[in-house]
Amino acid sequence: MTFEAAAGQALSGISVGMVLFLIAVGLSIIFGTLKVLNLAHGSIYMVGGFLCFGFTSALAQVPGAFWWTLILAPVVVALLGGVIEILLLRRIYSQDVLYQYILTFGLILMLGETCKFIWGVGYHTVSAPWPVNGKIPIWGLSFPVYNLFLIGCGIAVFLGLLALMRYTGLGRMIRAVTFNREMANALGINVPRVYTGVFMLGCWLAGLAGTLMPPMSVVALGSDMAVIIECFIIVVIGGLGSLPGAFLGAIILGLLTAFGIYIIPKLAVAFAFLLMIVVLVIRPWGLMGKPE
Amino acid sequence: MRPVSIFVVITTILIVVTIGIVAPLQAQEKKPVVVGFIHSMSGAMSMYGISSQAGGQIAVEEINAAGGILGRPLKMITRDDKLNPETGLREAKDLLLSEKADFLSGTISSAVALAISNHVKREKKIFIVNISQSSSITEENWHRYIFRIDTNAVPYWGYANALALGRTWKDKKIISLGFDYEMGKNAIRQFKEKYLQIVPEAKIIDEIWAPLNTTDFTAHISKIANSGADAFFLSCIYGGGELAFTKQAYAFGLYDKMHAIQPCAGDVETWHGVKKGEPYPKGALATCRYPFWAIKDPRNQAFVEKHQKKVGFYPSYGAMNQYVIMYALKAAIEKVGAVDTEKIVDALENMTLDTFVGKVPIRAYDHQAMMPTWFGIIDFTPNLPFPHIPKAEVVGEESYHTVEQIKKLRGGK
Repeated sequence: MTFEAAAGQALSGISVGMVLFLIAVGLSIIFGTLKVLNLAHGSIYMVGGFLCFGFTSALAQVPGAFWWTLILAPVVVALLGGVIEILLLRRIYSQDVLYQYILTFGLILMLGETCKFIWGVGYHTVSAPWPVNGKIPIWGLSFPVYNLFLIGCGIAVFLGLLALMRYTGLGRMIRAVTFNREMANALGINVPRVYTGVFMLGCWLAGLAGTLMPPMSVVALGSDMAVIIECFIIVVIGGLGSLPGAFLGAIILGLLTAFGIYIIPKLAVAFAFLLMIVVLVIRPWGLMGKPE
Repeated sequence: MRPVSIFVVITTILIVVTIGIVAPLQAQEKKPVVVGFIHSMSGAMSMYGISSQAGGQIAVEEINAAGGILGRPLKMITRDDKLNPETGLREAKDLLLSEKADFLSGTISSAVALAISNHVKREKKIFIVNISQSSSITEENWHRYIFRIDTNAVPYWGYANALALGRTWKDKKIISLGFDYEMGKNAIRQFKEKYLQIVPEAKIIDEIWAPLNTTDFTAHISKIANSGADAFFLSCIYGGGELAFTKQAYAFGLYDKMHAIQPCAGDVETWHGVKKGEPYPKGALATCRYPFWAIKDPRNQAFVEKHQKKVGFYPSYGAMNQYVIMYALKAAIEKVGAVDTEKIVDALENMTLDTFVGKVPIRAYDHQAMMPTWFGIIDFTPNLPFPHIPKAEVVGEESYHTVEQIKKLRGGK
């Protein structure tokens, strides 16, 4: 293995990991506060992808259409999330955990069929926007600028969320509710409103990931199921509900996938699951999580 | 004029017109030859169903305009299988029972095709597959009443690509990337089997697998780029996966670095939405099941125009197959002189179809029509708005399993 090849593979791995982090972080945040494992998180991400296609086509004549879309689409997805939380999720917090799975599984079907109804069953693509559409040579590999941009987005989102949680009043409230719901309630925090806010934040993040993906990939039905399993692996490795855990888990998964493919390509598919099993055996609460 | 008399006048005109239309039909009083057509008419694969139906309907209109079959009109009745074997089987039964269908045809899902195939085996009715690719339909699960006028997975994913590479670049070091499931594993096995016969010194240096429906191939692509291979082969990566892969490989400059072999990237279905300037499989060797732009026969031009007019998009290979199927049935019925299933099976077994894509023999042993597969280098030309293979070369019977190979698969029978 030459240095160039290894470095190129590492960079690819980080790119894969950061894309998955952008999707998984919302799932982790929602679980951390609401204790709801949102099976439909992948579908919400997919809605973001379809909205990216929808907005960029509608704004085709506007200069910088993609950048406007990047502002608009995640907000629309967050509003959708708000509606879902207020109308549906709110009713099942006190119920058995099984109802969460049934409800969020039902959402997968509903959101998938809605996308099919509006955008049809074909594949859609969105071109990489200026100025992140070229490629630059790094270690003998010509690397697409858009992948570097995605890595930057992942790091920015991670730091932004850390700052939000640590330094803002909203972050303090979220941490208080996460730490002890009853106590927070007794201290006068409007817990249902925090729940709605956190769910919307999680959906905004999924929408952001969904909007960022189409320029390097495709918008297609079924992309929800393709990513949700990897997201679960990330949050299991990192620790459910832990923000640094999701970041670490995503980087580990990305590098593991990349070097798995590099060294033993025939078995690369299995490595992520093997790592998950090892983590579950040694540290069931995840690398950065806290034991219950 | 009072309103009542207007009503009377209109009614009279309508009655006269209706009699005018109905009378000649009644005078004919010939029972139509009925083909039951079962396909995916709704959902993810409906484009193929709609296109194939249009192809069949064009043949029906042409045949009826020319006097039908043995003086009888030809009729095609369409049913939706919803990609579900049970629905498909139910529709097949209903077509045979209540519509008195003489023949069945269609299907894109191999599971649906196998369900219907089992039924017609008992009912002793002919079923002609128009898209379903599983080679087992005509190999392991073959019976007297099943026919396929279409390619199958052996040439499509494997042999035709091996032959194409053997006739062009003859690359020695090949790396493969496939979806991690049965079709993907079969495709690389078949490709290897055939390619090593043609270029014995060649080597598959690595096989990379990605989970089904992967859309981020970044790490796979950097591995391929640094593998030192002369060419990469996509093993059953199609549809959205192929679009995503191509976009990323294009961004990585992979197509400038090594040869690419992308089975089915020559088919219009995946690429018709890609415009010049967007990522495409630049310079890739691709196979194609119906390069309608490259076929010179004037019947082909007429067919493409009729299909466009009917449904508003380019014809898929399913449309071409269904058109050929309808004419094959006509030829067989006319040769026998009656709609007699047993005799028509015998007639089809020894028939060479004269189609606008060339002479296509139906092999008696496995009832598989030796439909050609084309190959060429993907490029843009001023003639079409999407990437395609401008110069299409053809492979035929050599791209299918031989009779000996199938005998082995059937356990010597």
